[in-house]
Amino acid sequence: MDTEERSAGDRPLTIKTPAQISSAAPRPLSNFLKATLAVTWKDLAAEFRSRELFSAMLVFSLLVILIFNFALELDIKTRQSVTSGVLWVTFAFAGTLGLNRSMAVEKDRGCLDGLLLAPVDRAAIYFGKVISNLAFMLIVEAFVLPVYSFLYNVNLFKAGLLLVILLGSIGYTAVGTLLSSMAVQTRTRDVLLPILLFPVAVPVLIAAVKASGGFLTGDDFANILPWVNLLIVYDVIFIAIAFMVFDYVVEE
Amino acid sequence: MEPKPIALKVLDVISIILLGVATYLALVFAPTEAVMGQVQRVFYFHIGTAWVGLLGFLLAAGTGVAYLVTKDAKWDIIEVAAVEISLVFFLITIILGSIWARPVWNTWWTWDPRLTTAAITELIYIAYFMLREGIEDPDRRARFGAVYTLIGGVSAPITFMVIRLFRTIHPVIIGSGDPGAQGTFAMTGGMKVAFFFALFTFTVVFVDLFWNRIRMGNLAAKVEQLKLNVMQ
Amino acid sequence: MFFQETPPDTSIYMIAGYAVFFIVMAVYLLSLFIRSRNLKRDLTVLEDMQKEGNKPMKTKQKSVTQK
Repeated sequence: MDTEERSAGDRPLTIKTPAQISSAAPRPLSNFLKATLAVTWKDLAAEFRSRELFSAMLVFSLLVILIFNFALELDIKTRQSVTSGVLWVTFAFAGTLGLNRSMAVEKDRGCLDGLLLAPVDRAAIYFGKVISNLAFMLIVEAFVLPVYSFLYNVNLFKAGLLLVILLGSIGYTAVGTLLSSMAVQTRTRDVLLPILLFPVAVPVLIAAVKASGGFLTGDDFANILPWVNLLIVYDVIFIAIAFMVFDYVVEE
Repeated sequence: MEPKPIALKVLDVISIILLGVATYLALVFAPTEAVMGQVQRVFYFHIGTAWVGLLGFLLAAGTGVAYLVTKDAKWDIIEVAAVEISLVFFLITIILGSIWARPVWNTWWTWDPRLTTAAITELIYIAYFMLREGIEDPDRRARFGAVYTLIGGVSAPITFMVIRLFRTIHPVIIGSGDPGAQGTFAMTGGMKVAFFFALFTFTVVFVDLFWNRIRMGNLAAKVEQLKLNVMQ
Repeated sequence: MFFQETPPDTSIYMIAGYAVFFIVMAVYLLSLFIRSRNLKRDLTVLEDMQKEGNKPMKTKQKSVTQK
């Protein structure tokens, strides 16, 4: 309901953006969803054309795995215990790269201002960005997992592990998108994002590493459950917080 | 800037006196602990500073929310004061904890939930100041600061729970994270006096520092405003 | 903890602990003092400048106030 009122009152309908096309819909909820998907679609379409972000993230994560191979001597014995850690460090670093870039591009080309002028709920912009960032991260993960399985002869395709990766990535991008939209508006933006993000993402990373490790070693599900619960709690809490405060972050 | 209020001056003096008495109680009055020896005396100030750090942490998260709701610049000033004092006192807590752990647990650092959470909170605070440093517009700086303290305020307790869960599933052998294993002690009368007096003292010291820091924050806001006016 | 009978001499750690406490506190108080002194100085300079109005001195004085 809020969407409709705000879009009518706050901003005159002057500037045409892709997101605006969808805002003409009569029902507020579908309006919100359409705006969200429009933002997501915009990002994915742009990325599909240029492929610059995706290729950077992918090459970067392959390099991280390569370095870990020699840094940790990933022989069969150590592999068991460190695989989940190596995977999550790779995802976290590649994720930061993606989060930084996707917001910086918006800022540099002035797209962010255009988006903000669009008569849609700001939260829709946030969710749109979260979904596209999540999509990038998941695509990279979908490439890394088979490569890792192939290189180290570990079967990573277990339903539980995939669920953990999804939950962990959701939490990471939910906080990361909010923080990266703050970081791009500062002077030291490129270096700032990891510094802001890592200390508050500690719980999600630890829980994800432990849960993934549990699934990989075939641990009892009762032992893994608390970690999965923690991931869900973290995701819900931080999506709710980001939903509430995103307005303050992009306000002019 | 108006001159320093008398009440604050009195509070300054009281804080110094109390700190002196607390030091005396901790170093001389309290009996020496039988197993750990003299190092146990660090405990009184360790808990005292931890308490102040926690107080500042809670205030920072609370004022962050208050700023976002009211948009009143005074909450921003209070928030910075709370974060800064909490940063200093958690730093002392961590160092004192390490110094205590060395002879008792035979290691400088353990990944104990409390110790680790305090350390991560320090990192959050450092990130907070780096974030503020990078923003020129005072209004935006206040908004981002408030959002970040809110996020930090929610994530730190979750971090604590996560590390605690980590520990219960994987108990450590060397230097157990649980002080119940080694380094625990029953407080006798003299110890209790020193302990509660230290808590009281640090609460007063916190109020005093907090007040001073808020006054400085007001001054800084005024100077910044004047600077903007003059530059135009 | 091999010496359960006689308490080990850990005074040095105690002294180190309290030294750290007082040093960090002193450094913090000093930083508070220096920062507020600088702010007060800035404030007087800025107030003077405002009284003088927009004089051509402006650019020269700006470098002073920028700390």
